[in-house]
Amino acid sequence: MRIETLWLGRGGQGIVTATYIIANAAVMDGFYAIANPEFGAERRGAPVKAFLTIDKNPIEDLEPIKTPDAVIIFDDKLIDSMRFAIDAVKPGGYVIVNSAKQPEEVRKIVGRNDVYIVVVDAVGIAMKHVGLPVPNGPLAGAFSKVMGFPRLESIKTAFENQLGKAVEENFAATKEAYEVAVVLKPEKVDTSAKPKGVISTTSAFLTGPYELVGWQQVNKGGAVGPGSSLQYLTGGWRIEKPIIDHSKCIMCRKCWLYCPDDAIIEAWREAPGPRGRVFRTKVIDFDYQYCKGCGICAEVCPTGAIQMVREI
Amino acid sequence: MTAQALVPREKKIAQKRIALTGNHAVALAVKMCRPDVIAAYPITPQTPVVEKLAEYVNNGELDAEYIPVESEHSAMSAVIGASAMGARTFTETSSQGLMHMYENLPIAVGLRLPIVMGVAARTISAPINVWGDYSDVMTMRELGWIIYIVQNAQEAFDTIIQAYRVAEDQRVHLPAVVAYDGFWTSHVLQPLDVPEDEEDVIRFSPITRSWVKLDVDKPLQLGAVGTPEWYWEIRWQAVEALRESLKVIEEIDREFDKWFGRSYGLFDTYRLEDAELAIVTYGSIYGLVKKVVNRLREEGVKAGALRLRVIRPWPGDKLRKALDNIEKVFVIDRAINHGGPLIGPMATEVAATLQRPVYNALATIGMRAIDSDMIYEAAVKVAKGLWAPNQTYTIGLRGGYE
Ligand code: SF4
Ligand code: SF4
Repeated sequence: MRIETLWLGRGGQGIVTATYIIANAAVMDGFYAIANPEFGAERRGAPVKAFLTIDKNPIEDLEPIKTPDAVIIFDDKLIDSMRFAIDAVKPGGYVIVNSAKQPEEVRKIVGRNDVYIVVVDAVGIAMKHVGLPVPNGPLAGAFSKVMGFPRLESIKTAFENQLGKAVEENFAATKEAYEVAVVLKPEKVDTSAKPKGVISTTSAFLTGPYELVGWQQVNKGGAVGPGSSLQYLTGGWRIEKPIIDHSKCIMCRKCWLYCPDDAIIEAWREAPGPRGRVFRTKVIDFDYQYCKGCGICAEVCPTGAIQMVREI
Repeated sequence: MTAQALVPREKKIAQKRIALTGNHAVALAVKMCRPDVIAAYPITPQTPVVEKLAEYVNNGELDAEYIPVESEHSAMSAVIGASAMGARTFTETSSQGLMHMYENLPIAVGLRLPIVMGVAARTISAPINVWGDYSDVMTMRELGWIIYIVQNAQEAFDTIIQAYRVAEDQRVHLPAVVAYDGFWTSHVLQPLDVPEDEEDVIRFSPITRSWVKLDVDKPLQLGAVGTPEWYWEIRWQAVEALRESLKVIEEIDREFDKWFGRSYGLFDTYRLEDAELAIVTYGSIYGLVKKVVNRLREEGVKAGALRLRVIRPWPGDKLRKALDNIEKVFVIDRAINHGGPLIGPMATEVAATLQRPVYNALATIGMRAIDSDMIYEAAVKVAKGLWAPNQTYTIGLRGGYE
């Protein structure tokens, strides 16, 4: 037996910790496990991937996982941008998704009928027990449920080893997810079929679209010419999004000053006046393509006009 | 000292003979190359070079920015920054100073900056010893710098001028280091020929400013992150450039010959054509080795000698051609390759190049005195089969090692 898994999420969601915890627990259960995260200089919110392999026998090959048996997705908004990972899951494998959406809707977004689709509102469960939107504990629970290992008690011990704090709270979240995760069976499985794609061994997808050229073409000395982050849509990083109540906004523009991503914009809004005349007024709006949901604007707004609302 | 090295074969430009220490010869060559920025930590061991340069700047003889930094680490940082702005730069260090500079050395390579550095080669601590051997510069072999090792003050002077041309060549754009024996060259006064008209030097080695540099009119960012998708490709260009520099080094050496009447090649050979024993070494002790070759020849031993001059890039093909047919290749190394396959770094590389065992002895470590008799005795042992190839021997170590 050898199970290869890919965990996809964002910096701050505990992806790496989740793989360490499962690996830790699997080792306690007598398996061999290797958790090898792959990340660079990412910050909170940026996409992160981590690999986890569990085997009955010792593992020596740290080969990149190209066609996983399971993909665990920490954020349903990543499904579209990380479709290559879903395509790479072996027929008969598992796609485990953290989502508050209806399981059938998630199945539609995932768009595969030859794999198990597992849906759990991991953020909701985590908020309830831990008080933080960290979906890793619940996803570990969902993983344990569908795989049949590692045992829940081992996960608890792993929490103790790995986190050393909030063990009860995290474990309660794991246990609830174990119980409530919805498993949708595949419609038909042809295990002889090859997956639609393979996961590329470069981590290029983490930092945006660019052409990978040969050494003859790269800029001498690694010089980088002028450019912009126009194509770098940090909006995909969001877990929560800011919304504004214009009736409270005094147009002080503090949010605009503090937004690290230039995602606060001023827009014109037309509103009818008392005698039917239409007035154009300036209002604060958000450029959701670039807003990464950091919440700074809500924090600095002196009137409380901005609220952060959950998006996944 | 050979007369041949000092008398230009065909003087194209007018030259005059003067006497200078190796350090002052380097300082004079640097001055004639008109660097825009010189940064140095003015303390033992490079003091005389940068002191002289400070004097030139102070006298108004050299119009350069002189930055007396607070450590060698900063000296390299400063010239990297200046070079990245398109300035011709110079710095000098050795021994622990080079060690302290270390983390910045590969940056000059990665950014493809044609910095020229002098090193009065010395050993490294501990115990504290600021005397001459090649322990310091040998550590730079894997970093991507062009490395010259010269024999005397004249060659140090000439090689600085060549080094700027090579480093700034479009096909190269890499930093270069010119190393010469600490004390045995750096502090020894020797005659040398220098151009009467300094302009000839800058005419031979004009500042091209053709390298990748920061320019407000053509904005660029240098020193950005090279993620795993990019680092290797960028670094590989430096690997290729260093390989390419081999022919540029030779080309410029030949052109230098036309102008100045002196050339050195990638390495120097002496009575090697029909030799059965070749003594390979580097730096100032080559003169002693040549003397030993003559003595051995008189005694009927077909001996010859080879002096390594350019050790990075490594002139493997040419070395193979020069040494392939010689039965016994005896490398006298002047730095310790601790725990290596052979205890001397150059012996290891020569053996790898020839793909057969070579004879190896260490000498001059920590500036242990050496004379031609000592080299002669060692060479006789090799010639008579008393020393075996692929083993470690020493010349001048008390207690010996045989
Ligand atoms: S949450 Fe607010 S401050 Fe943060 S990126 Fe979005 S708009 Fe800018
Ligand atoms: S900080 Fe608040 S009150 Fe000020 S402009 Fe932004 S939303 Fe309006």
